[in-house]
Amino acid sequence: MSKRIKAVISKLGLDSHERGAKLVASALKDAGMEVVYLGSFQIPENVVKTAIQEDADIIGLSCHSGEHLTLVPILFEIMKEKGLRNIPVIIGGVIPKENVEELKRLGISGVFTYGTTMEQVVEFVENICSK
Amino acid sequence: MELMRKKDVAEPGYREKVRRTKSWSAIDLKEAYFPGDADDDYKKNIGDPGQYPFTRGIYPNMYRGKLWTRRQPWGFGTPEDTNKQMKYLISHGNTGLMVFRDQPTMHGLDSDHPLARGEVGVSGVPLVSIDDMEDLFDDIPLDEISSTLLCASVVSPVILAQYIAVAKKRGISMSKLRGTISNDPIMSHVCYSDVANPPRLGVKIWGDLVEYCGDNMPLWHAAYVSSCYNMRDYGLDAPEEVAFGLKIAATFIDGCLKRGMDIDNVARRMSFYCAAGIDIFEEVAKYRAMRRMWAKMLKEKYGAKDKGSLQFKFAVQCAGHSLIPQQPLNNIARTSFETLAAVLGGAQSIFTTTFVEPVCLPTKDAQRTSLAIQGIVAHETGAAAVADPLGGSYYVEQLTNVMEEKATEIMEQIDKLGGFVDALESGWVQKVIDEGNQRYQKEIENGDRLIVGLNYMSIPPEEDTVLPGGVLEIPPGTEERQIERVKKLKATRNIDLVKDSLKELTQGVARGENENLLPYIIKAVESKSTVEEIMGTMRTTLGMSWDPWGCRNSPFL
Repeated sequence: MSKRIKAVISKLGLDSHERGAKLVASALKDAGMEVVYLGSFQIPENVVKTAIQEDADIIGLSCHSGEHLTLVPILFEIMKEKGLRNIPVIIGGVIPKENVEELKRLGISGVFTYGTTMEQVVEFVENICSK
Repeated sequence: MELMRKKDVAEPGYREKVRRTKSWSAIDLKEAYFPGDADDDYKKNIGDPGQYPFTRGIYPNMYRGKLWTRRQPWGFGTPEDTNKQMKYLISHGNTGLMVFRDQPTMHGLDSDHPLARGEVGVSGVPLVSIDDMEDLFDDIPLDEISSTLLCASVVSPVILAQYIAVAKKRGISMSKLRGTISNDPIMSHVCYSDVANPPRLGVKIWGDLVEYCGDNMPLWHAAYVSSCYNMRDYGLDAPEEVAFGLKIAATFIDGCLKRGMDIDNVARRMSFYCAAGIDIFEEVAKYRAMRRMWAKMLKEKYGAKDKGSLQFKFAVQCAGHSLIPQQPLNNIARTSFETLAAVLGGAQSIFTTTFVEPVCLPTKDAQRTSLAIQGIVAHETGAAAVADPLGGSYYVEQLTNVMEEKATEIMEQIDKLGGFVDALESGWVQKVIDEGNQRYQKEIENGDRLIVGLNYMSIPPEEDTVLPGGVLEIPPGTEERQIERVKKLKATRNIDLVKDSLKELTQGVARGENENLLPYIIKAVESKSTVEEIMGTMRTTLGMSWDPWGCRNSPFL
C-alpha cells in the first residue's frame, strides 16, 4: 500500500472506559498506521470534524455504556449532513450481540467485542481501507 | 467474526497440567510452601483477629458479629424508575442501598447540557436538583436505611448536599443519616476526566467533606478511597492497587492535616473500595497486606491513637475486567470465586458484579443472581464462620509478605516522584496503568493467561448462550422526560433565591482553601440550584471555564 492508513480513534460522550480504545490505537500504530487519538469526552460533531480535517481513512469508536445505541445514530446523521459518507466506521467495546444487526443497519462496517485480538483488528482495518 | 478460537491453546486432557506458575499479578510461586517460608513474628506482624496490626481482620469474631453488607448498586432511567428498582433490591436481600449517578451528573452537567445527549439516565440516575433526589428516595426511610451515594468526582459534595437537604425537608436530623458518599476526586481525575477533576481542587473537596461530616454526621462515611478498585480495573496489578490506594489515601490525609484537622478525626471513619480479582489466594493476601500496611502507616507515620483509625475497612467489587461476554454464564462462577475471596479476606461490604456486566447494563435477573451468590457464600459454604480462615497457611502468609514488599517498593517510587499528585501530573501514573493494560492483553494473546471461553474451551459465537433475562434496554423517552423536568424546574423556581445562594457560594470559594464549602452548597441546593450551576459557579470563581469542556457558559451572565 502506498499511502499510510489514517485512523481516527475516539469514544463518544462521557463514558471513560478507555482501556479498549487505547489498546486498539497502539496496535494500529504498531502496524504502521497513523492514528489520531481523540479519547473520551467527544461529541459526534467533533469526531466527524476531525475525520474531515485529517482526511482520515477510517473512524474507530469505542462504546461501553450503551452509547452505541444513542450516539452512534447521531454520528451517522452528522456524517451524512457533512457529506462524509465514503469512510468506514468500526466499533468495539461492550456491545450485546442483540444490537449488532441494528448497528450494521446504521452503517457500521465492523463490530469488535471483547476477545478480538489486536491482530484481527489490524487485519480488518487494512482490508477495508484497501478496498 | 472469528475470535480467538483459532488460537485455543488446550492440550490433550490426559496430560494437561497447570500452565501458569505465577500469580495473576506475576508473582513467582513455588511448588509448595513450608514452615519457615513466611518466618513471621506472629505478635508483631500478624496478630490475632481484632488486634494490631489487624492482618487477620479488624474484629475478633468477624462475621459472627455482623455479616458483610450486601450492596448491589442501582441507577438507571429517571429517579422514579431507580426508586422502584431500589425497593425491589431491598425486598430481595439487599441490606444497603448504593446509587449510581449518571455520567452527566458525575461530570457536573445538567441533563440539558449538549454533552449529556444520549447519556441521561443510561449508566446511572440523573441527580440534577433536590427534586431528583427527593423522587429517588421517595418512601424510603432515610433515618433507617444505609445509603452509599456513588459519585467520587469533585461533584460529590453536591450529591451529599442534595441528600442532606431532602432529609432536612422531611424533618430528619443529618446526625441520624447513615451511609457513605464516595469521595475520591483523584480516582476520577485518572479514571474519568482529568479536566473535570483538577487534583488539587480534589484534595480540598475531599477535606471539606470529611471535615463537614466529622462535625455534623457521626454515622456517615466521607473519608473514602475508591482508586483501588477503579485503577485496578484500568490496568494495575494487585501490588500496584495496594500501593496506589494507600498513597492516594495519604495524599488526602496530608491535605486535611495541613488545614489543621486531627488525624484520628480524619482516619477513624476512613474506608476503601477494593477490587476482587479471580486469583483467590493473591486477593486474600492483598487484603491482609493492606490491613497491616494501613495500621502501621497510621500508627508509625501519622501517630493515630484511635483503634478505629488503625482498622482498614474496605468494600469490595468483583473485578469487571475479569468478566467476559463469551459464555456469559461462566461469569457466575468467576464472581462466586471473587466473592469468596472477599469473604476469606474479611471485607466489610461486597458488590458482586453481575454476570451480564461485559454484555450490557445489569438486568433484574442478573442482580438477583449476584445477591444469591452472596447468600450462598454467607450461609452455605461455611466461609464466613471463622475469622481469617487462611491465616497460618504457609503460602498465604508468605504471599501476604511479598504483597507488602512489592507495594512498599512502589510507594517509595511514588515518594521519589514527589508524592502522588506530582506523579500524576508528570504522566507516570497513566503510564503504569497503560503498560499494565497492554501487558494483560499480550498475555492473553500469547496464551500466558488462560481464560475460559476466550483462549481456552472456546466455542463458536453462534453456539453461545442466549442471556437469560435478556439484555437491558434503555426505556424510550427517559432523556426527553428528564430534560423536560429540568427545563420546567429552571422556569418555575424562584430565580432570585438561586442567584443569592450562588453569590454566597462565590464568596465562600473566594475565602480560600480552608473555608468549608458544604454549608454554601447545601444552601444552594435548597434554593433549587442545579448541579451544573453549583459546579460552574465554583469553577468560574477559581478561574476555570463554566463546564470542563467549555461547551456552554453561565446562564446568569
